[in-house]
Amino acid sequence: MTSYLTLSGVNKQYGAFTALDHVDLDVEKGEFVTFLGPSGSGKTTTLMIIAGFEDATDGAVEVAGQSLAGLAPQDRNIGIVFQNYALFPHKTAAENVYFPLQMRSVKRAEGLARAEEMLTLVGLEGFGHRYPKELSGGQQQRVALARALVFEPDLLLLDEPLGALDKNLREQMQIEIKRIQRKLGVTTIFVTHDQSEAMSMSDRIVVFDKGNIQQAGRPLDIYHRPQTRFVADFIGETNLFDATVTDAAARRAQSPVLGEVSYAAEGLPALADGQEVALVLRPEQMKLSRDPVPGRMNAAMTVETIVNFGDSALVIGRHGGTPIRVRLHGADVVILKEGDAATVSWTEDAVYVVTR
Amino acid sequence: MNASLRLIGIFAIVFIAAPLLIVVPMSLSTSASLQFPPPGLWLGYYASYFTDMSWLRPTWNSLVIAFFTTLLTMALVVPATFALVRHRFYGKSVANLMMLMPLAVPHIVMAVGYYSYFGDLRLVFSKTGVVLAHTCLSVPITFLVLSANLKGFDRNLERAARSLGATPRQVFVHITLPILRPSLTISALFAFIQSFDETVVALFISGRDAETLPRKMFDSIRQEADPVIAVISTLLFLIVALALLAPHAMRLTRRMLATASRRTTPRDQT
Ligand SMILES: Nc1ncnc2c1ncn2[C@@H]1O[C@H](COP(=O)(O)OP(=O)(O)OP(=O)(O)O)[C@@H](O)[C@H]1O
Ligand SMILES: [Mg+2]
Repeated sequence: MTSYLTLSGVNKQYGAFTALDHVDLDVEKGEFVTFLGPSGSGKTTTLMIIAGFEDATDGAVEVAGQSLAGLAPQDRNIGIVFQNYALFPHKTAAENVYFPLQMRSVKRAEGLARAEEMLTLVGLEGFGHRYPKELSGGQQQRVALARALVFEPDLLLLDEPLGALDKNLREQMQIEIKRIQRKLGVTTIFVTHDQSEAMSMSDRIVVFDKGNIQQAGRPLDIYHRPQTRFVADFIGETNLFDATVTDAAARRAQSPVLGEVSYAAEGLPALADGQEVALVLRPEQMKLSRDPVPGRMNAAMTVETIVNFGDSALVIGRHGGTPIRVRLHGADVVILKEGDAATVSWTEDAVYVVTR
Repeated sequence: MNASLRLIGIFAIVFIAAPLLIVVPMSLSTSASLQFPPPGLWLGYYASYFTDMSWLRPTWNSLVIAFFTTLLTMALVVPATFALVRHRFYGKSVANLMMLMPLAVPHIVMAVGYYSYFGDLRLVFSKTGVVLAHTCLSVPITFLVLSANLKGFDRNLERAARSLGATPRQVFVHITLPILRPSLTISALFAFIQSFDETVVALFISGRDAETLPRKMFDSIRQEADPVIAVISTLLFLIVALALLAPHAMRLTRRMLATASRRTTPRDQT
């Protein structure tokens, strides 16, 4: 597949501060890509560089093989939805959606008809005459989406568009955005710091931290095959254990908590004997029992807290000073109580190595 | 609302309205000078205001001066506000301070300054001189009103418009200007009223040819206490009251028209 949107070596400095540090990214046509990362990690900055509101200090942005350098924002044909919607308060919903067409010299009658069509697509039929302040948050969101899509942009950029909505509305809008995006096939970049949102909506997730792309990949790969300690820690619940590689060829490492451990072969970074690494073990891939289980790898721990969720429970224990989190399902929950000595067990292919 | 708050409210209203209760009856008086309570009721002083050139000329002068003061103030302050609110540049805080300076200097000091300085420039006793002086006095208040509004302006609106295909000029015409229009109107109104109201500087530099209404009123009250002064005050009050009520009235009619048209054409009123 060829890349439709390409960022190569994009750098952004604010004075001495590096907001983006050599970002490379390929996005395919029609793909739905999510930027996920903590606050201040450079997600918005990247969007603003793509949209042309900030100049990259270094590096290049291309759409369909054409460099965007020197192209003003209004000439880039990119639709943007902002977190606060940025609807024009002095224009009705239909006039808001008509605005990009107006700027492209579409006649008012025809433009308003197309605006009305687009409003229907986002589920706002008959709301065209309302002013933004006469619409609910979710409805304003839909108008902003319609406005960003009506001129058939090459790219759709959404910067935390659902941040201001309550949970139910959020889930509804997630489905809605996905539906519309599929229907129109528009290449989309969606920014969020909600990982479940990223997991459920994206074709691909790009994890940002401190101006770097930590990892880009399909949601399940990001979850199950984190490549850096940051990603492992940021996505989902994780146990991270420091370890030292004892035999890279035989995939063995020594951990103070887990003891001698073998790790999975998949997605391994290049390792050398004696290298300091971290071992990733997801809580749901570990089991808890009183005694060591033959055929699995085992380590001792003391049960400290049991948090019951009904269908599952989270057991937080300790080995020395290190906490260990184990998620149990169904009947497993009842056998232990707080203060018990227990054994955690796992299999070799559940252990991933990330570099430190 | 509790009783003591209501009492304070009533006091405030009485305090503000008291001069009106005196001025309006005096304007309808038969007496030869300002006198309260009026000995009898008569509309004669209204007639004499509207026929006497020695009152109409200063009124006209004041309107012309206020008009050009407003124009000049806005021409200076609008670009200056955009620059000071939105851009960083060397000497910005000094520029900010200079904009507000006339607020800190007593009018009488400014007036003496203009009197001697404009004398050299041959601007004393001319409308141009008064317009220039009034513009200086109007700048701070206009700037304060505008900059407060511009600071609260969401720049994402402009970014959104750019991304939707608008050039910077189109953004200004279609988005920034219409959204800022109410605050532009208000600040222009402030400039106009400030100039129309201004007495001290006008006393010093307006002279006979450019005599403004407040100056004429001041002269008149010192010499003869002509009840025409009360007439003018009453008229000014009425104009201000109408100006304040006008937007409400307009909004009300627009809403009524909108609901009426919505009722007749239920769908395609966009
Ligand atoms: N105009 C600016 N001047 C200086 N620093 C800036 C500027 N804009 C952004 N930054 C810095 O760049 C970094 C990245 O900011 P950015 O807005 O891209 O973060 P983000 O990932 O979008 O975060 P959030 O999730 O909070 O929106 C931050 O540390 C921010 O403080
Ligand atoms: Mg952001």
